[in-house]
Amino acid sequence: MTFLNIALLGGVLALAIPIIIHLFHKSRFKIVVWGAMHLLEAVIRQNQRRIQMEQWILLAIRCAIPLLLALLMARPLWKGAAKLLGDTKTSTIILLDNSYSMEVARAGTSNWSLARDEAVRIVSELKQGSEVAVGLMGEGGAGLLDTPTYDTGRVLKALQKAEASSGAANVPASLDFAANTFDQMHESVRQLIVLTDFQRVSFSAQEDSLLSQMIARLKKSAAPPSVTLFDIGPEVRENVAVESLDFSRLMVGVGQKVQIRANLRNFGDQRWPDLRVNFRVDGKDKGAAQIKLGPREKGQVLFTHVFDTAGSHVVEVSADADPLKADNTFLASMQVRDRVPVLLVDGEPNKEPLKSETAFAEIALQPFAAGRVELADLINPRVVAPEALNQQMLAESAVVILANVRKLNDNQLRFVEEFVRNGGGLLIFPGAKIDTSWYQSALHRDGKGLLPLAYAQLAGDAKPGATPASVVSQRFENPALELFNDPRNGSMADAAVRLWFKTKDAPAGSGEPSVVLARLDSGDPLFAEKKFGEGRVIACSTALDADWSNLPMRPFYLPLLQRLTVYLASTIYPPRNLDSGKPIAAFLPAADVDKKATLTTPGGDAIELKIVRKGSLGVAEFTRTQRPGLYTLTPPGGSPIHYVVNANRRESDTSKLTDQEITDLAKSHGVLLVRSSAEYKEHEQKRRFGTELWKPLLWALLIFFIAEMVLEQLFAGVRRKPTSLQPQMAR
Amino acid sequence: MSHVADFLTPSDLQRIGNLQVFARQVVEGFCSGLHRSPHKGFSVEFKQHRPYVPGDEIRHIDWRVFGRSDRYYIREYEEETNLRATLILDRSGSMGYGANTSKFEYATKLAACLSYLMLQQADSVGMVTFDTEIRRYIPPRSRVSHLKVLVDELENGKTGGETELGNVFHDLVPKLHRRGLLVILSDCFGDVATFLKAMAHFRHAHHEILVFQIWDRDELDFPFKGWTQFECLERAGIKHMLDPVLLRQAYLENLEKFRDELTRGCRRHKIDLVPFCTDQPYAEALAAYLSRRLALK
Repeated sequence: MTFLNIALLGGVLALAIPIIIHLFHKSRFKIVVWGAMHLLEAVIRQNQRRIQMEQWILLAIRCAIPLLLALLMARPLWKGAAKLLGDTKTSTIILLDNSYSMEVARAGTSNWSLARDEAVRIVSELKQGSEVAVGLMGEGGAGLLDTPTYDTGRVLKALQKAEASSGAANVPASLDFAANTFDQMHESVRQLIVLTDFQRVSFSAQEDSLLSQMIARLKKSAAPPSVTLFDIGPEVRENVAVESLDFSRLMVGVGQKVQIRANLRNFGDQRWPDLRVNFRVDGKDKGAAQIKLGPREKGQVLFTHVFDTAGSHVVEVSADADPLKADNTFLASMQVRDRVPVLLVDGEPNKEPLKSETAFAEIALQPFAAGRVELADLINPRVVAPEALNQQMLAESAVVILANVRKLNDNQLRFVEEFVRNGGGLLIFPGAKIDTSWYQSALHRDGKGLLPLAYAQLAGDAKPGATPASVVSQRFENPALELFNDPRNGSMADAAVRLWFKTKDAPAGSGEPSVVLARLDSGDPLFAEKKFGEGRVIACSTALDADWSNLPMRPFYLPLLQRLTVYLASTIYPPRNLDSGKPIAAFLPAADVDKKATLTTPGGDAIELKIVRKGSLGVAEFTRTQRPGLYTLTPPGGSPIHYVVNANRRESDTSKLTDQEITDLAKSHGVLLVRSSAEYKEHEQKRRFGTELWKPLLWALLIFFIAEMVLEQLFAGVRRKPTSLQPQMAR
Repeated sequence: MSHVADFLTPSDLQRIGNLQVFARQVVEGFCSGLHRSPHKGFSVEFKQHRPYVPGDEIRHIDWRVFGRSDRYYIREYEEETNLRATLILDRSGSMGYGANTSKFEYATKLAACLSYLMLQQADSVGMVTFDTEIRRYIPPRSRVSHLKVLVDELENGKTGGETELGNVFHDLVPKLHRRGLLVILSDCFGDVATFLKAMAHFRHAHHEILVFQIWDRDELDFPFKGWTQFECLERAGIKHMLDPVLLRQAYLENLEKFRDELTRGCRRHKIDLVPFCTDQPYAEALAAYLSRRLALK
């Protein structure tokens, strides 16, 4: 207990006043020479003890009144446990929600600027010598500075420069950051302040269990921090977002018509009768459309475009809608190809027409060239013998098809694995010549190798008249096969597979799992896919040529091979369509190592990136991609590569938890909730300086005043009617 | 020599005079049980001899005495009435209470008023003053000049000593050998039971009793505030220092109880208990009481 006006505490001496008044009155008594003493004496005899008690009570109350008044004026502070921890240096972590929902503008400001200002105020009001760290929730709790610091000035400068990110608030990750950062901090008094808009998507039920775990972890730490949730700003629900873009083609070639479907969603209650949607390619307007969006409705707009040139292009669809700009535009970086180099490794070459293992496939992959038609084939196959396969060939190819290859040597296998790991596509077809033991031991490696299917033994019967297996009709989920969900594009069900490899399951938990894309009616997989590094591998259980099946004779053979190849070639690695905060990377020729690539940011800044060696390649990397938009990387002497960063659409639904839900959340996790700067200050004041007791004291004073008046009246007795002097008549 | 005007103002006398007619009726009414026919029984009773003075009627000379003593003596007769009233005046210490008018002063005025009234009607009026014992006994007489005797006693009366109503009244009974009207002017302080026993004694002797209980307003309301030392008027050295505010309620309750007991006792003995407060004009209060009696009759 301390006092803000200690001098006024001297007023407690005023408690002597009632005693003095009491004694003074007692000494200045009146004398009444009384006749009716027999009436009075009986009363005195019976009530002496009661009167003494009442007098003591009244005197005590009268003494308490000046005592309370003096205490009240001295402004006492109750510090309790805070006395020990109060105005001391602290280790403080501020988790600042900089997800883009915080940028919702209202009345000339935004939740983001409010939160930032609040963070600045909190940091600047910290006790000198306190240690601070700031985590940005929109970037998964990444620190504003690399490490906690005692230099609050530095933190304030960084906060002034901080911007809202385009990512979604990741509350558990941010709390994880806080827990890890507290481990590096030194002061024993710790506090964690979370400044957030309590967006519903960030505090969903799924997040809640993680949140509980993280808060429990914080509380179990050696010096558990006090956790304060700071509710910044009211809900602003009006928001229209371009959620995604869908392309009609997996891969776009020069001169090919591609349809781009923009998916829009209205998250608010406002009606948009004629929302204008703009379509741009490489920054040039290529069209616009109007769409009607009712409250909470979704809508789609379709644009068509033909790319004239190969290379990296940027497609942009924007809706001219609400003030939350970050999700009004969706960008997509597209690699338009003039050809897709495919390497066909033929395990059974034959110079006779259509006799080699890859003959049908070669035709299927470049039908126009085979048909001597004056049209451009997108896919450009090259057939090589297994022995000729080398690293250079792989580097020049987007997809490699192994057809009935007996086995590869170790170097070849290593090169192929590196090729796939770096984003290349591999298509594997077995045949009569393959070395199944090598396929199992080297290529499958119990699920850890490239091969998605562990070829075991042959099944079926190649003799004429034997019943072949057919492909089970099903809905295909894989983009390569989903074309066949529409019967107009051909049906795989009329294929007859006479021989195929049975497969065995890989041991559980070994490597990336395989996914079966299509099955035979025997129950055996026909196609299976697995991810390997950044690339993908698809394996078939029957041969590529017509020896084991009639696949090459079926109309779907051509689109099937084309789709599988394009699908495998469509992986662009490193990726160019990124979420906010994900790094930009480009693989460049080893010759460019130590040279500099130029990166142009959405703000127009040109940043030079040093190309460093990574394996056999040069790599240019850039990590500060919080800001959504177009990043253009220009390698030395090369064509520009476009990278786009889109704001995380999870944040587009700006609906907030209700006040009750927020209160319950805070209560269930046993943390403090504040809703305004004033409220925070009040709690902080209490924490640091204790609770001012003037309010309860004032109440006590009033109660004592009233009690004094009431008791005096009560002890003196109620007012009586004047004594009646009616005579008593004998008759 | 005191005069009745010292006690009664002209306006009081006027007021009482106006009451004379009905007051007489009232008084007669009280005594209706004493004589079957008060007016028929009117007679003369020898009182004393006194020397003849010139101017006296010759027919009043007692010739038998002249024959024996050779002197002229006038034979005086006392007119006998149907009412013999005795005013019993309490002059104990407690009657001395009162800021402007003490209860005793008030009682003396009432007594004077009653005496005047009754003597005007040719009734006999006597007086007893007492505190711890009977201090003076004046037998009832009906002469108008008797008023002076009574007034002298009233004027010379002083308060003091303790109230001992019970014992005093018991002592008084044998002195009042003829039944009559007893008017007690007192605050009746003291033990109620003893007082009522004495009343019963009077009633047993066939006396009619009127109790004029005299109060001071302070005794009825107990209005004191601040620390006060109460000193007993009757017993020297008895003092009580207290905050009267805290006792007021209890005092008033005790007062109520005292008055209740007294009222019930008086009702039981068919005694009129008439409270007077010294802040009431006594003539009006008396007139009001008499009016009320008249109305009841």
